[in-house]
Amino acid sequence: MSARNLVVIGVSTGGPLTLKALFKEIPPLDAAFLIVLHITPQMDYRIAQGLATAATMPVTLAEDGEYLKHGHIYMAPGGFHLKLEGNHRVVLYEGARVNYVQPAADVAMLSVSRPLKGKLVGIVLTGMGRDGADGIKHIHDIGGVTIAQDQHSSTIYGMPKAAALTGAVDYVLPPKKIAAKLIELLT
Amino acid sequence: MNKKIMIVDDNEYVRASVDIICESGRLELTSAASGMECLEHLEQGFRGVILMDIMMPEMDGWDTIREMVGRGLYEGNIVVMLTGMGEPDSKMDGLQEYVSDYMTKPFNPDELLDSLEYYLTLLNTPVDDHER
Repeated sequence: MSARNLVVIGVSTGGPLTLKALFKEIPPLDAAFLIVLHITPQMDYRIAQGLATAATMPVTLAEDGEYLKHGHIYMAPGGFHLKLEGNHRVVLYEGARVNYVQPAADVAMLSVSRPLKGKLVGIVLTGMGRDGADGIKHIHDIGGVTIAQDQHSSTIYGMPKAAALTGAVDYVLPPKKIAAKLIELLT
Repeated sequence: MNKKIMIVDDNEYVRASVDIICESGRLELTSAASGMECLEHLEQGFRGVILMDIMMPEMDGWDTIREMVGRGLYEGNIVVMLTGMGEPDSKMDGLQEYVSDYMTKPFNPDELLDSLEYYLTLLNTPVDDHER
């Protein structure tokens, strides 16, 4: 069954350890989690496997054409952009870099559209640059809840700061409190 | 199991402190005093976790990563930047996918060791059965 609730996360440098810290605090929830981490094709599978050792939900690399299921964590593979069709079907494609990166969080976040059948949450975590800022504004504009990692806990406070500067971020939190907020929103 | 770490830093005191930390965790350390030395070790077959200083004379950390990628020496490594600066500058643009972490000196030995062990676990994950 396809997921109704969707959480899209953009993250870069410092991401492997931050994602581990976040997901070890989250019990299985009624949502699909889509992570866009700036990563190479050589490392994507290893990082997904590393996250799987800490997470309570299964973690896999998203595959082209696949439908997102609830209670599952998907990671965008390296070397492709990922967008969603109908908010729950994965489309992978090679294209120009966006914000210097591929995959880019903005591409995934901007592909989410109304009508939303369930809850939508957009999160920007640690990383250099401003990827995810346009995406988080879009998610906010279409009725989603938006969260940015706080400065103190960020390895690099670039992406979360750019997201916060859009004025479209509802909560600025460290990973542990992001986990608590997700539990509150999705249970 | 691969337990190899490389410290790339022109400051011998930083290299020595990483040596002590790696010894306490029974990790195998290779030292490089410059970006060129790092590339030489990679050409000789080093694969592991690389702790890369940013500000080095002649070839800085960003240029060293660009050389690694350009010469096909990146694959099989995880790169963690070590820096005395708070936040990276725009020289990192385009390299985000190649930098897994960013640590500010002076670093906490326990945190550094925990991070190194986690990144080694990732590098040692078998990928033979994974088909794209």
